Amino acid sequence: MACPKARRASALMQITAMLAAGELTVQANPLYPNLTWFTNSLLVTIIVTGLVVIWSRISTRHMEVVPKGNQNIFEALVETLYNLFEGVVGKHMIPKVFPLLATLFIFILAANWFGLVPGVGTIGFGKPGAGPLGLEEMHAPLLRAANADLNSTLGMALFFMLWWVIWTIQEVGVIGFLKDNFAPPGAVKGMLRIFLLPIFLFVGVTELISIAIRPVSLSLRLFGNIFAGETLLHTMSSLGSVLPIPLNWISAVLFPLPFYFLELLVGLLQAFVFAILCSVYIKLSTGGHGGEEGQPAH
Amino acid sequence: MLDILPMLAAEIPNFAATLPLAFAGLGAGVGVGLVGGKAAEAVGRNPSAFGSIMVMAIIGMALAEAIAIYGLIIAFIK
Repeated sequence: MACPKARRASALMQITAMLAAGELTVQANPLYPNLTWFTNSLLVTIIVTGLVVIWSRISTRHMEVVPKGNQNIFEALVETLYNLFEGVVGKHMIPKVFPLLATLFIFILAANWFGLVPGVGTIGFGKPGAGPLGLEEMHAPLLRAANADLNSTLGMALFFMLWWVIWTIQEVGVIGFLKDNFAPPGAVKGMLRIFLLPIFLFVGVTELISIAIRPVSLSLRLFGNIFAGETLLHTMSSLGSVLPIPLNWISAVLFPLPFYFLELLVGLLQAFVFAILCSVYIKLSTGGHGGEEGQPAH
Repeated sequence: MLDILPMLAAEIPNFAATLPLAFAGLGAGVGVGLVGGKAAEAVGRNPSAFGSIMVMAIIGMALAEAIAIYGLIIAFIK
């Protein structure tokens, strides 16, 4: 390797091979030693939010009656989401809940796909090694997928549950909510109702426990999928690192390729499932009574 | 028959964390396969309902797969 260009190229490939074999921790890594709360996942969250807001402002800057370009994509996205959620939640609740549901979908989708951009999760800080920018082993990536941090997903799930409580109480009231869960169904009348009351009390407690588990399952599902995908890509990249030099680099690029497409699909699917499950939870608690109480007011 | 468990625990390094994943994966595989099969059958009976069947099938599969993801998290954290 006499000429400098070949030497530079080989050094670059060496860096890539070493970087791909780093380790991923369950907790996000702080960027400054003193501020433990400012992690690399938080930085990516800020970047993704900025990108989404900037894109949406650019799309809607000069609105035209016949949209084209960015505005067209944006309108298609919002309209599809609106029809999808209206089919689940119903016409009465959709104006209140659509902003939160659509924001959850768009943010989670953008954050998941941003975690697949090359460089996120692979470039970072660590023990210096060969070459000017080379690392022997990486301790902490600079940017990391936002939803690979349980704090992020738990925050979104708890925020949604807070609004679910607010909307349920607005629609059916506290008495109505307790009646939905604890009372025997209205079709049972008379003495049979009094006999069935203790059984349905127990059923109500089980129902409340399953409601309390909802933020746990929402957050863990999203976190597990994205974190496992991240770990899978890293493992696949470093799988061929024991091979000799040219196969080493080729395998680090070629092995994760099918899993890359899998991660694209999983990112889209998990965003969709999060938003749809949230809408289904809203429908379950405000569905029957909300529609009937809303009618006379119109 | 159950004395195989301490033997496995001695051989496999992180057995207590990965055994739940094995069972969760088994259950999730069966569950997702059932949902997919029923969805295919439903589309065969009524091909014009493909859109709504697909949405419900995707929701069902994601919910069934979440259990395996819980096991995966335990395997990663321990």
